[in-house]
Amino acid sequence: MFSRVSRRAARKLARPSLQCSSQRRTLVQPSTADRASVVDLPATYSDDGHFTPRSDMFGFKLEMPARESTLKDKARPIYLDMQATTPMDPRVLDAMLPYYTDQYGNPHSRTHAYGWEAEKGVDEARKHVADLIGAEPKDIIFTSGATETNNMAIKGVARFYKDKKRHIITTQTEHKCVLDSCRVLQEEGFEVTYLPVQHNGIISLEELEAAIRPDTSLVSIMTVNNETGVIQPIKEIGAICRKQRGVYFHSDAAQAVGKIPLDVNALNVDLMSISGHKIYGPKGIGAAYVRRRPRVRLEPIISGGGQERGLRSGTLPSTLAVGMGEAARVAKLEMARDHARISQLSKRLIDGINARVSHVVRNGDVTGYPGCVNLSFSYVEGESLLMALKDVALSSGSACTSASLEPSYVLRALGAAEDMAHSSLRFGIGRFTTETEIDYVVERISTVVSKLRDMSPLWEMVQEGIDISTINWSQH
Amino acid sequence: MSPTREAILRLYSSSLRASHSFSSYNFRNYFIRRTKSTFRDMQKEQDSNRLQSMFDEAVKENAVLKRSAIVNQMYGGWRLVVEKQSPTRERSDT
Repeated sequence: MFSRVSRRAARKLARPSLQCSSQRRTLVQPSTADRASVVDLPATYSDDGHFTPRSDMFGFKLEMPARESTLKDKARPIYLDMQATTPMDPRVLDAMLPYYTDQYGNPHSRTHAYGWEAEKGVDEARKHVADLIGAEPKDIIFTSGATETNNMAIKGVARFYKDKKRHIITTQTEHKCVLDSCRVLQEEGFEVTYLPVQHNGIISLEELEAAIRPDTSLVSIMTVNNETGVIQPIKEIGAICRKQRGVYFHSDAAQAVGKIPLDVNALNVDLMSISGHKIYGPKGIGAAYVRRRPRVRLEPIISGGGQERGLRSGTLPSTLAVGMGEAARVAKLEMARDHARISQLSKRLIDGINARVSHVVRNGDVTGYPGCVNLSFSYVEGESLLMALKDVALSSGSACTSASLEPSYVLRALGAAEDMAHSSLRFGIGRFTTETEIDYVVERISTVVSKLRDMSPLWEMVQEGIDISTINWSQH
Repeated sequence: MSPTREAILRLYSSSLRASHSFSSYNFRNYFIRRTKSTFRDMQKEQDSNRLQSMFDEAVKENAVLKRSAIVNQMYGGWRLVVEKQSPTRERSDT
Protein backbone atom coordinates (compact mmCIF):
# COMPACT_ATOMS: atom_id res chain seq x y z
CA MET A 1 0.00 0.00 0.00
CA PHE A 2 2.74 2.45 0.85
CA SER A 3 4.78 1.55 -2.20
CA ARG A 4 1.79 2.17 -4.44
CA VAL A 5 1.45 5.70 -3.14
CA SER A 6 5.11 6.45 -3.56
CA ARG A 7 5.22 4.92 -7.05
CA ARG A 8 2.51 7.30 -8.26
CA ALA A 9 4.28 10.24 -6.75
CA ALA A 10 7.56 9.11 -8.24
CA ARG A 11 5.95 8.84 -11.67
CA LYS A 12 4.63 12.39 -11.38
CA LEU A 13 8.10 13.61 -10.54
CA ALA A 14 9.71 11.63 -13.34
CA ARG A 15 7.30 12.73 -16.08
CA PRO A 16 8.99 16.11 -16.83
CA SER A 17 12.22 14.22 -17.50
CA LEU A 18 10.52 12.36 -20.38
CA GLN A 19 9.58 15.63 -22.01
CA CYS A 20 12.97 17.37 -21.85
CA SER A 21 15.19 14.60 -23.14
CA SER A 22 18.91 14.72 -22.65
CA GLN A 23 19.56 13.87 -26.30
CA ARG A 24 18.30 17.17 -27.73
CA ARG A 25 20.54 18.17 -30.60
CA THR A 26 22.26 21.55 -30.44
CA LEU A 27 24.75 23.45 -32.57
CA VAL A 28 28.34 22.31 -32.27
CA GLN A 29 30.24 24.62 -29.96
CA PRO A 30 33.94 25.32 -30.34
CA SER A 31 36.09 23.92 -27.53
CA THR A 32 37.14 26.35 -24.88
CA ALA A 33 40.61 26.68 -23.48
CA ASP A 34 39.93 24.74 -20.34
CA ARG A 35 39.41 21.62 -22.40
CA ALA A 36 43.01 21.81 -23.59
CA SER A 37 44.47 20.47 -20.40
CA VAL A 38 46.70 17.47 -20.85
CA VAL A 39 47.41 16.65 -17.25
CA ASP A 40 44.00 16.70 -15.69
CA LEU A 41 40.38 16.44 -16.69
CA PRO A 42 38.80 19.81 -17.45
CA ALA A 43 36.31 21.16 -14.99
CA THR A 44 33.41 20.87 -17.45
CA TYR A 45 33.73 17.11 -17.56
CA SER A 46 31.93 16.71 -14.28
CA ASP A 47 30.56 13.23 -14.82
CA ASP A 48 32.42 10.22 -16.14
CA GLY A 49 29.71 9.38 -18.65
CA HIS A 50 31.98 10.03 -21.62
CA PHE A 51 34.16 7.12 -20.55
CA THR A 52 31.30 4.70 -20.90
CA PRO A 53 31.97 2.33 -23.78
CA ARG A 54 29.23 0.57 -25.73
CA SER A 55 27.19 -1.89 -23.75
CA ASP A 56 28.37 -4.86 -25.80
CA MET A 57 31.95 -4.26 -24.72
CA PHE A 58 32.80 -6.60 -21.96
CA GLY A 59 32.70 -5.78 -18.37
CA PHE A 60 34.13 -2.27 -18.30
CA LYS A 61 30.97 -0.23 -18.25
CA LEU A 62 31.11 2.23 -15.42
CA GLU A 63 27.89 2.58 -13.54
CA MET A 64 26.85 6.22 -13.55
CA PRO A 65 24.85 7.08 -10.48
CA ALA A 66 21.52 8.16 -11.92
CA ARG A 67 20.66 11.59 -10.66
CA GLU A 68 17.09 12.19 -11.79
CA SER A 69 15.57 8.74 -11.96
CA THR A 70 15.15 6.73 -8.83
CA LEU A 71 17.37 3.74 -8.31
CA LYS A 72 14.24 1.62 -8.18
CA ASP A 73 14.05 1.66 -11.97
CA LYS A 74 17.30 -0.28 -12.38
CA ALA A 75 17.29 -4.03 -11.91
CA ARG A 76 19.27 -5.14 -8.90
CA PRO A 77 21.71 -8.02 -9.14
CA ILE A 78 20.81 -11.33 -7.55
CA TYR A 79 22.67 -12.09 -4.37
CA LEU A 80 24.83 -15.19 -4.16
CA ASP A 81 27.42 -14.13 -1.61
CA MET A 82 25.97 -15.58 1.58
CA GLN A 83 29.37 -16.12 3.16
CA ALA A 84 30.07 -12.40 3.15
CA THR A 85 26.79 -11.56 4.82
CA THR A 86 23.20 -12.71 4.77
CA PRO A 87 19.99 -10.73 4.34
CA MET A 88 18.20 -10.12 7.58
CA ASP A 89 15.21 -12.40 7.98
CA PRO A 90 12.00 -10.31 8.17
CA ARG A 91 11.03 -12.16 11.35
CA VAL A 92 14.25 -10.97 12.98
CA LEU A 93 13.54 -7.38 11.98
CA ASP A 94 10.05 -7.72 13.39
CA ALA A 95 11.47 -8.88 16.72
CA MET A 96 13.95 -6.00 16.85
CA LEU A 97 11.62 -3.13 15.97
CA PRO A 98 9.88 -2.84 19.40
CA TYR A 99 13.32 -2.35 20.94
CA TYR A 100 14.08 0.39 18.44
CA THR A 101 10.81 2.23 19.05
CA ASP A 102 9.33 2.04 22.53
CA GLN A 103 11.35 -0.47 24.54
CA TYR A 104 14.61 1.42 24.37
CA GLY A 105 15.87 0.94 27.90
CA ASN A 106 19.41 0.03 28.85
CA PRO A 107 19.41 -3.64 29.84
CA HIS A 108 21.75 -2.91 32.73
CA SER A 109 19.39 -0.40 34.36
CA ARG A 110 18.09 -2.22 37.38
CA THR A 111 15.71 0.34 38.77
CA HIS A 112 12.90 0.77 36.24
CA ALA A 113 10.67 -1.10 33.83
CA TYR A 114 12.50 0.06 30.73
CA GLY A 115 15.65 -1.65 31.94
CA TRP A 116 13.80 -4.74 33.11
CA GLU A 117 12.07 -5.35 29.82
CA ALA A 118 15.27 -4.77 27.85
CA GLU A 119 17.05 -7.19 30.15
CA LYS A 120 14.27 -9.70 29.66
CA GLY A 121 14.68 -9.44 25.90
CA VAL A 122 18.43 -9.94 26.16
CA ASP A 123 18.01 -12.93 28.46
CA GLU A 124 15.63 -14.59 26.03
CA ALA A 125 18.08 -13.91 23.23
CA ARG A 126 20.86 -15.46 25.25
CA LYS A 127 18.75 -18.56 25.79
CA HIS A 128 17.98 -18.91 22.08
CA VAL A 129 21.67 -18.62 21.13
CA ALA A 130 22.61 -21.13 23.83
CA ASP A 131 19.97 -23.60 22.65
CA LEU A 132 21.34 -23.42 19.15
CA ILE A 133 24.76 -24.73 20.19
CA GLY A 134 23.74 -26.92 23.11
CA ALA A 135 25.11 -24.65 25.84
CA GLU A 136 23.76 -22.94 28.95
CA PRO A 137 22.62 -19.30 28.73
CA LYS A 138 25.25 -18.29 31.28
CA ASP A 139 28.00 -19.46 28.93
CA ILE A 140 27.08 -16.99 26.20
CA ILE A 141 28.74 -13.58 26.05
CA PHE A 142 27.51 -11.02 23.53
CA THR A 143 30.22 -9.19 21.65
CA SER A 144 30.36 -6.94 18.62
CA GLY A 145 30.98 -9.75 16.17
CA ALA A 146 32.98 -12.86 15.49
CA THR A 147 36.16 -10.83 14.91
CA GLU A 148 35.99 -9.43 18.43
CA THR A 149 35.22 -12.88 19.81
CA ASN A 150 38.21 -14.38 18.01
CA ASN A 151 40.46 -11.66 19.36
CA MET A 152 39.02 -12.10 22.84
CA ALA A 153 39.42 -15.85 22.81
CA ILE A 154 42.90 -16.08 21.36
CA LYS A 155 44.52 -13.12 23.04
CA GLY A 156 42.58 -13.65 26.26
CA VAL A 157 43.53 -17.28 26.78
CA ALA A 158 47.12 -16.79 25.62
CA ARG A 159 47.74 -13.79 27.88
CA PHE A 160 46.08 -15.39 30.90
CA TYR A 161 48.37 -18.39 30.78
CA LYS A 162 51.44 -16.53 29.52
CA ASP A 163 53.60 -17.40 32.53
CA LYS A 164 53.55 -21.14 32.00
CA LYS A 165 52.29 -21.67 28.43
CA ARG A 166 53.70 -19.92 25.39
CA HIS A 167 52.53 -21.99 22.42
CA ILE A 168 49.43 -21.69 20.23
CA ILE A 169 48.33 -23.89 17.34
CA THR A 170 46.16 -22.76 14.46
CA THR A 171 45.81 -23.52 10.74
CA GLN A 172 46.83 -21.71 7.58
CA THR A 173 43.27 -21.37 6.34
CA GLU A 174 41.87 -19.46 9.29
CA HIS A 175 40.08 -16.16 9.04
CA LYS A 176 42.27 -13.07 8.88
CA CYS A 177 41.33 -11.96 12.41
CA VAL A 178 42.61 -15.23 13.87
CA LEU A 179 45.84 -15.08 11.90
CA ASP A 180 46.38 -11.45 12.78
CA SER A 181 45.75 -12.09 16.49
CA CYS A 182 48.34 -14.85 16.36
CA ARG A 183 50.75 -12.49 14.63
CA VAL A 184 50.28 -9.94 17.42
CA LEU A 185 50.90 -12.64 19.99
CA GLN A 186 54.04 -13.67 18.15
CA GLU A 187 55.27 -10.11 18.53
CA GLU A 188 54.55 -10.37 22.23
CA GLY A 189 56.81 -13.41 22.44
CA PHE A 190 54.50 -16.37 21.95
CA GLU A 191 55.19 -19.20 19.54
CA VAL A 192 52.55 -20.05 16.97
CA THR A 193 52.35 -23.17 14.82
CA TYR A 194 50.36 -22.79 11.60
CA LEU A 195 49.24 -26.26 10.60
CA PRO A 196 49.11 -26.92 6.86
CA VAL A 197 46.00 -28.38 5.26
CA GLN A 198 45.71 -31.24 2.86
CA HIS A 199 44.57 -30.77 -0.71
CA ASN A 200 40.92 -31.10 0.28
CA GLY A 201 41.26 -28.44 2.95
CA ILE A 202 41.06 -30.66 6.03
CA ILE A 203 43.91 -30.70 8.54
CA SER A 204 45.78 -33.87 9.36
CA LEU A 205 44.95 -35.11 12.85
CA GLU A 206 48.36 -36.76 13.20
CA GLU A 207 50.09 -33.46 12.52
CA LEU A 208 47.93 -31.75 15.10
CA GLU A 209 48.71 -34.35 17.71
CA ALA A 210 52.41 -34.10 16.94
CA ALA A 211 52.32 -30.32 17.17
CA ILE A 212 50.80 -30.19 20.66
CA ARG A 213 53.54 -29.52 23.23
CA PRO A 214 53.44 -29.40 27.04
CA ASP A 215 53.37 -25.60 26.86
CA THR A 216 50.47 -25.35 24.39
CA SER A 217 47.62 -23.30 25.76
CA LEU A 218 45.23 -22.99 22.82
CA VAL A 219 44.26 -24.76 19.61
CA SER A 220 42.14 -22.63 17.28
CA ILE A 221 40.54 -24.29 14.24
CA MET A 222 37.49 -23.01 12.40
CA THR A 223 34.53 -25.32 11.90
CA VAL A 224 33.46 -24.31 8.40
CA ASN A 225 35.81 -22.36 6.18
CA ASN A 226 34.31 -19.18 4.78
CA GLU A 227 36.00 -19.46 1.38
CA THR A 228 35.77 -23.13 0.52
CA GLY A 229 33.08 -24.50 2.81
CA VAL A 230 35.35 -27.23 4.14
CA ILE A 231 34.14 -28.75 7.42
CA GLN A 232 36.96 -29.68 9.79
CA PRO A 233 36.71 -32.80 11.98
CA ILE A 234 35.89 -30.82 15.11
CA LYS A 235 34.81 -33.82 17.15
CA GLU A 236 38.13 -35.62 16.67
CA ILE A 237 40.11 -32.44 17.30
CA GLY A 238 38.13 -31.84 20.47
CA ALA A 239 38.87 -35.38 21.63
CA ILE A 240 42.60 -34.86 21.01
CA CYS A 241 42.61 -31.62 22.99
CA ARG A 242 40.68 -33.26 25.83
CA LYS A 243 43.30 -35.95 26.11
CA GLN A 244 46.01 -33.36 26.74
CA ARG A 245 45.51 -31.50 29.96
CA GLY A 246 45.30 -27.75 29.85
CA VAL A 247 44.90 -27.34 26.09
CA TYR A 248 41.86 -25.23 25.27
CA PHE A 249 40.05 -25.70 21.99
CA HIS A 250 38.64 -22.63 20.29
CA SER A 251 36.61 -22.89 17.12
CA ASP A 252 35.50 -20.03 14.90
CA ALA A 253 32.04 -21.31 14.04
CA ALA A 254 30.73 -18.13 12.41
CA GLN A 255 29.88 -19.93 9.16
CA ALA A 256 28.75 -23.13 10.85
CA VAL A 257 26.30 -22.04 13.54
CA GLY A 258 22.70 -22.47 12.49
CA LYS A 259 23.69 -24.32 9.35
CA ILE A 260 25.08 -27.62 10.60
CA PRO A 261 24.08 -29.11 13.96
CA LEU A 262 26.57 -28.23 16.69
CA ASP A 263 26.76 -29.33 20.29
CA VAL A 264 29.62 -27.88 22.29
CA ASN A 265 29.59 -30.76 24.76
CA ALA A 266 29.64 -33.49 22.14
CA LEU A 267 32.36 -31.66 20.21
CA ASN A 268 34.44 -30.85 23.32
CA VAL A 269 34.75 -27.20 22.35
CA ASP A 270 35.82 -24.75 25.06
CA LEU A 271 35.41 -21.48 23.17
CA MET A 272 33.29 -20.77 20.15
CA SER A 273 32.76 -17.66 18.00
CA ILE A 274 29.33 -16.89 16.64
CA SER A 275 28.48 -14.11 14.23
CA GLY A 276 25.07 -12.49 14.01
CA HIS A 277 25.03 -11.41 10.42
CA LYS A 278 25.91 -14.86 9.07
CA ILE A 279 22.72 -16.43 10.50
CA TYR A 280 20.30 -13.91 8.95
CA GLY A 281 20.60 -11.59 11.92
CA PRO A 282 21.78 -7.99 12.31
CA LYS A 283 25.31 -6.81 11.69
CA GLY A 284 27.37 -5.59 14.60
CA ILE A 285 26.64 -8.37 17.06
CA GLY A 286 28.22 -11.70 17.77
CA ALA A 287 28.53 -14.07 20.65
CA ALA A 288 31.23 -16.01 22.40
CA TYR A 289 30.65 -19.33 24.04
CA VAL A 290 33.01 -19.58 27.02
CA ARG A 291 32.82 -22.89 28.84
CA ARG A 292 32.18 -22.73 32.56
CA ARG A 293 32.63 -26.40 33.47
CA PRO A 294 35.63 -26.80 33.47
CA ARG A 295 36.11 -23.07 33.65
CA VAL A 296 37.99 -21.35 30.87
CA ARG A 297 39.84 -18.31 32.16
CA LEU A 298 40.33 -15.34 29.87
CA GLU A 299 41.96 -12.00 30.17
CA PRO A 300 39.35 -9.54 28.88
CA ILE A 301 40.41 -7.14 26.16
CA ILE A 302 37.73 -4.56 26.95
CA SER A 303 37.73 -3.26 30.50
CA GLY A 304 34.86 -1.42 32.10
CA GLY A 305 31.89 -1.97 34.35
CA GLY A 306 32.18 -5.75 34.48
CA GLN A 307 29.18 -6.64 32.32
CA GLU A 308 28.98 -10.07 30.70
CA ARG A 309 30.80 -11.86 33.54
CA GLY A 310 33.58 -9.27 33.41
CA LEU A 311 34.74 -10.63 30.08
CA ARG A 312 33.19 -7.96 27.87
CA SER A 313 32.23 -4.70 29.50
CA GLY A 314 29.97 -2.18 27.86
CA THR A 315 26.26 -1.59 27.39
CA LEU A 316 24.69 -4.47 25.58
CA PRO A 317 22.97 -3.42 22.38
CA SER A 318 19.61 -4.84 23.39
CA THR A 319 18.16 -4.36 19.90
CA LEU A 320 20.96 -6.27 18.21
CA ALA A 321 21.04 -8.94 20.89
CA VAL A 322 17.30 -9.52 20.54
CA GLY A 323 17.77 -9.74 16.78
CA MET A 324 20.53 -12.26 17.13
CA GLY A 325 18.45 -14.31 19.54
CA GLU A 326 15.52 -14.35 17.15
CA ALA A 327 17.85 -15.30 14.28
CA ALA A 328 19.19 -18.16 16.37
CA ARG A 329 15.67 -19.33 17.24
CA VAL A 330 14.61 -19.29 13.59
CA ALA A 331 17.84 -21.01 12.55
CA LYS A 332 17.24 -23.85 14.98
CA LEU A 333 13.68 -24.21 13.72
CA GLU A 334 14.61 -24.18 10.05
CA MET A 335 17.97 -25.94 10.13
CA ALA A 336 16.87 -29.29 8.71
CA ARG A 337 14.62 -27.76 6.04
CA ASP A 338 17.21 -25.20 5.00
CA HIS A 339 19.99 -27.75 4.82
CA ALA A 340 17.98 -30.06 2.59
CA ARG A 341 17.01 -27.24 0.28
CA ILE A 342 20.49 -25.71 0.12
CA SER A 343 22.00 -29.13 -0.68
CA GLN A 344 19.50 -29.51 -3.49
CA LEU A 345 20.24 -26.03 -4.88
CA SER A 346 23.98 -26.60 -4.58
CA LYS A 347 23.74 -29.84 -6.53
CA ARG A 348 21.68 -28.06 -9.17
CA LEU A 349 24.34 -25.35 -9.45
CA ILE A 350 27.30 -27.70 -9.68
CA ASP A 351 25.61 -30.10 -12.08
CA GLY A 352 24.41 -27.22 -14.23
CA ILE A 353 27.85 -25.66 -14.50
CA ASN A 354 29.66 -28.95 -15.07
CA ALA A 355 27.23 -29.85 -17.84
CA ARG A 356 27.88 -26.64 -19.75
CA VAL A 357 31.45 -25.62 -18.91
CA SER A 358 34.54 -27.79 -19.03
CA HIS A 359 37.78 -27.47 -17.07
CA VAL A 360 36.10 -26.47 -13.83
CA VAL A 361 37.80 -27.37 -10.55
CA ARG A 362 36.02 -27.41 -7.23
CA ASN A 363 38.26 -26.11 -4.46
CA GLY A 364 37.83 -27.78 -1.13
CA ASP A 365 36.20 -30.97 0.02
CA VAL A 366 33.08 -32.19 -1.77
CA THR A 367 31.64 -33.19 1.58
CA GLY A 368 31.95 -29.66 2.87
CA TYR A 369 29.07 -27.31 3.56
CA PRO A 370 26.90 -27.33 0.40
CA GLY A 371 25.99 -23.67 0.69
CA CYS A 372 29.56 -22.58 -0.10
CA VAL A 373 30.78 -23.66 -3.51
CA ASN A 374 34.19 -22.47 -4.65
CA LEU A 375 34.89 -23.13 -8.31
CA SER A 376 37.96 -22.31 -10.38
CA PHE A 377 37.56 -21.85 -14.11
CA SER A 378 40.76 -22.63 -16.02
CA TYR A 379 42.07 -20.23 -18.65
CA VAL A 380 39.74 -17.46 -17.50
CA GLU A 381 40.86 -14.47 -15.48
CA GLY A 382 38.90 -14.08 -12.25
CA GLU A 383 38.54 -10.31 -12.18
CA SER A 384 37.29 -10.09 -15.76
CA LEU A 385 34.83 -12.88 -14.96
CA LEU A 386 33.51 -10.94 -11.98
CA MET A 387 33.30 -7.70 -13.95
CA ALA A 388 31.29 -9.38 -16.67
CA LEU A 389 28.91 -10.85 -14.14
CA LYS A 390 27.73 -7.50 -12.88
CA ASP A 391 24.15 -8.67 -12.45
CA VAL A 392 25.12 -11.43 -10.06
CA ALA A 393 26.58 -10.56 -6.67
CA LEU A 394 29.46 -12.98 -6.28
CA SER A 395 32.87 -12.83 -4.77
CA SER A 396 36.22 -14.32 -5.57
CA GLY A 397 37.97 -15.24 -2.38
CA SER A 398 36.79 -13.73 0.85
CA ALA A 399 35.39 -10.26 1.38
CA CYS A 400 38.09 -9.24 3.80
CA THR A 401 40.88 -9.86 1.30
CA SER A 402 39.06 -8.72 -1.80
CA ALA A 403 40.66 -5.28 -1.72
CA SER A 404 44.16 -6.63 -2.33
CA LEU A 405 45.29 -8.07 -5.61
CA GLU A 406 46.82 -11.16 -4.06
CA PRO A 407 45.14 -14.46 -4.69
CA SER A 408 43.41 -15.87 -1.68
CA TYR A 409 45.76 -17.36 0.90
CA VAL A 410 43.23 -20.08 1.65
CA LEU A 411 43.33 -21.36 -1.91
CA ARG A 412 47.09 -21.15 -1.90
CA ALA A 413 47.18 -23.23 1.28
CA LEU A 414 44.99 -25.78 -0.48
CA GLY A 415 47.68 -26.10 -3.11
CA ALA A 416 45.88 -24.37 -5.95
CA ALA A 417 48.08 -22.91 -8.66
CA GLU A 418 48.33 -19.10 -8.85
CA ASP A 419 46.24 -18.75 -11.98
CA MET A 420 43.58 -21.11 -10.67
CA ALA A 421 43.45 -19.22 -7.40
CA HIS A 422 42.95 -16.00 -9.37
CA SER A 423 40.07 -17.41 -11.38
CA SER A 424 38.05 -18.77 -8.50
CA LEU A 425 34.50 -17.79 -7.73
CA ARG A 426 32.68 -18.40 -4.49
CA PHE A 427 28.95 -19.10 -4.74
CA GLY A 428 27.07 -18.63 -1.51
CA ILE A 429 23.62 -20.22 -1.37
CA GLY A 430 21.31 -19.39 1.48
CA ARG A 431 17.84 -19.77 2.87
CA PHE A 432 16.29 -17.27 0.48
CA THR A 433 17.92 -18.40 -2.78
CA THR A 434 15.54 -19.64 -5.44
CA GLU A 435 15.90 -22.14 -8.31
CA THR A 436 15.37 -19.35 -10.82
CA GLU A 437 18.41 -17.52 -9.45
CA ILE A 438 20.53 -20.66 -9.65
CA ASP A 439 19.45 -21.31 -13.23
CA TYR A 440 20.12 -17.68 -14.11
CA VAL A 441 23.63 -17.80 -12.68
CA VAL A 442 24.40 -21.10 -14.42
CA GLU A 443 23.26 -19.58 -17.71
CA ARG A 444 25.28 -16.39 -17.22
CA ILE A 445 28.43 -18.19 -16.12
CA SER A 446 28.30 -20.54 -19.09
CA THR A 447 27.90 -17.71 -21.60
CA VAL A 448 30.50 -15.48 -19.97
CA VAL A 449 33.09 -18.19 -19.52
CA SER A 450 32.73 -19.41 -23.09
CA LYS A 451 32.95 -15.83 -24.40
CA LEU A 452 36.06 -15.11 -22.33
CA ARG A 453 37.65 -18.39 -23.33
CA ASP A 454 36.99 -17.69 -27.00
CA MET A 455 39.00 -14.51 -26.59
CA SER A 456 41.85 -16.23 -24.78
CA PRO A 457 44.92 -17.42 -26.74
CA LEU A 458 45.78 -19.85 -23.93
CA TRP A 459 42.47 -21.57 -24.48
CA GLU A 460 43.19 -21.85 -28.21
CA MET A 461 46.45 -23.55 -27.45
CA VAL A 462 44.76 -25.95 -25.04
CA GLN A 463 42.14 -26.77 -27.68
CA GLU A 464 44.92 -27.58 -30.13
CA GLY A 465 46.37 -29.96 -27.62
CA ILE A 466 49.45 -27.99 -26.58
CA ASP A 467 50.44 -28.53 -22.99
CA ILE A 468 50.76 -25.05 -21.44
CA SER A 469 53.22 -26.11 -18.76
CA THR A 470 55.81 -27.21 -21.32
CA ILE A 471 56.03 -23.80 -22.98
CA ASN A 472 59.10 -21.69 -22.40
CA TRP A 473 57.65 -18.18 -22.26
CA SER A 474 60.85 -16.17 -22.19
CA GLN A 475 61.75 -16.65 -25.85
CA HIS A 476 61.99 -12.96 -26.78
CA MET B 1 -9.73 -28.54 21.52
CA SER B 2 -8.33 -28.94 18.09
CA PRO B 3 -8.76 -26.27 15.45
CA THR B 4 -11.57 -26.69 12.95
CA ARG B 5 -10.93 -27.24 9.28
CA GLU B 6 -12.38 -23.82 8.44
CA ALA B 7 -10.06 -22.11 10.91
CA ILE B 8 -7.02 -23.78 9.41
CA LEU B 9 -8.10 -22.89 5.89
CA ARG B 10 -8.74 -19.29 6.85
CA LEU B 11 -5.31 -19.08 8.47
CA TYR B 12 -3.74 -20.65 5.38
CA SER B 13 -5.29 -18.17 2.99
CA SER B 14 -4.40 -15.28 5.28
CA SER B 15 -0.77 -16.39 5.56
CA LEU B 16 -0.55 -16.98 1.81
CA ARG B 17 -1.96 -13.54 1.11
CA ALA B 18 0.59 -11.97 3.48
CA SER B 19 3.42 -13.94 1.83
CA HIS B 20 2.33 -12.80 -1.64
CA SER B 21 2.34 -9.17 -0.55
CA PHE B 22 6.11 -9.01 0.15
CA SER B 23 7.83 -6.67 -2.25
CA SER B 24 11.22 -8.39 -2.16
CA TYR B 25 11.53 -11.29 -4.58
CA ASN B 26 13.57 -13.55 -2.28
CA PHE B 27 11.42 -13.06 0.80
CA ARG B 28 8.19 -13.45 -1.15
CA ASN B 29 9.24 -16.77 -2.68
CA TYR B 30 10.63 -18.04 0.60
CA PHE B 31 7.54 -17.27 2.64
CA ILE B 32 5.15 -18.65 0.01
CA ARG B 33 7.13 -21.88 -0.07
CA ARG B 34 7.35 -22.03 3.69
CA THR B 35 3.63 -21.38 4.25
CA LYS B 36 2.70 -24.11 1.78
CA SER B 37 5.15 -26.54 3.37
CA THR B 38 4.00 -25.77 6.94
CA PHE B 39 0.34 -26.22 6.13
CA ARG B 40 1.05 -29.39 4.17
CA ASP B 41 2.71 -30.79 7.30
CA MET B 42 -0.31 -29.70 9.30
CA GLN B 43 -2.57 -31.54 6.89
CA LYS B 44 -0.61 -34.77 7.42
CA GLU B 45 -0.56 -34.40 11.21
CA GLN B 46 -2.72 -36.93 13.06
CA ASP B 47 -2.05 -36.14 16.72
CA SER B 48 -4.47 -33.44 17.88
CA ASN B 49 -2.21 -31.96 20.59
CA ARG B 50 0.62 -31.44 18.14
CA LEU B 51 -1.85 -30.06 15.63
CA GLN B 52 -3.05 -27.54 18.22
CA SER B 53 0.50 -26.40 18.97
CA MET B 54 1.33 -26.14 15.26
CA PHE B 55 -1.82 -24.10 14.74
CA ASP B 56 -0.97 -21.72 17.58
CA GLU B 57 2.52 -21.23 16.20
CA ALA B 58 1.07 -20.61 12.76
CA VAL B 59 -1.26 -17.95 14.20
CA LYS B 60 1.70 -16.14 15.80
CA GLU B 61 3.74 -16.40 12.62
CA ASN B 62 0.83 -15.04 10.60
CA ALA B 63 0.84 -11.86 12.67
CA VAL B 64 4.62 -11.54 12.27
CA LEU B 65 4.28 -12.13 8.53
CA LYS B 66 1.65 -9.41 8.09
CA ARG B 67 3.79 -6.82 9.87
CA SER B 68 6.96 -7.88 8.06
CA ALA B 69 5.20 -7.64 4.70
CA ILE B 70 4.18 -4.03 5.43
CA VAL B 71 7.71 -3.08 6.49
CA ASN B 72 9.10 -4.74 3.37
CA GLN B 73 6.69 -2.81 1.16
CA MET B 74 7.81 0.42 2.78
CA TYR B 75 11.53 -0.13 2.42
CA GLY B 76 12.28 -2.96 0.10
CA GLY B 77 11.19 -4.56 -3.09
CA TRP B 78 13.61 -3.31 -5.71
CA ARG B 79 13.26 -5.41 -8.82
CA LEU B 80 15.90 -8.11 -9.37
CA VAL B 81 17.31 -9.19 -12.71
CA VAL B 82 15.49 -12.52 -12.56
CA GLU B 83 12.10 -10.87 -12.18
CA LYS B 84 9.93 -9.78 -15.07
CA GLN B 85 11.15 -6.33 -16.06
CA SER B 86 8.56 -3.75 -17.04
CA PRO B 87 9.77 -2.11 -20.26
CA THR B 88 10.53 1.61 -19.93
CA ARG B 89 8.55 3.63 -22.43
CA GLU B 90 10.06 6.56 -24.27
CA ARG B 91 8.55 9.20 -26.47
CA SER B 92 8.95 8.54 -30.18
CA ASP B 93 10.57 11.89 -30.97
CA THR B 94 13.50 11.65 -28.59
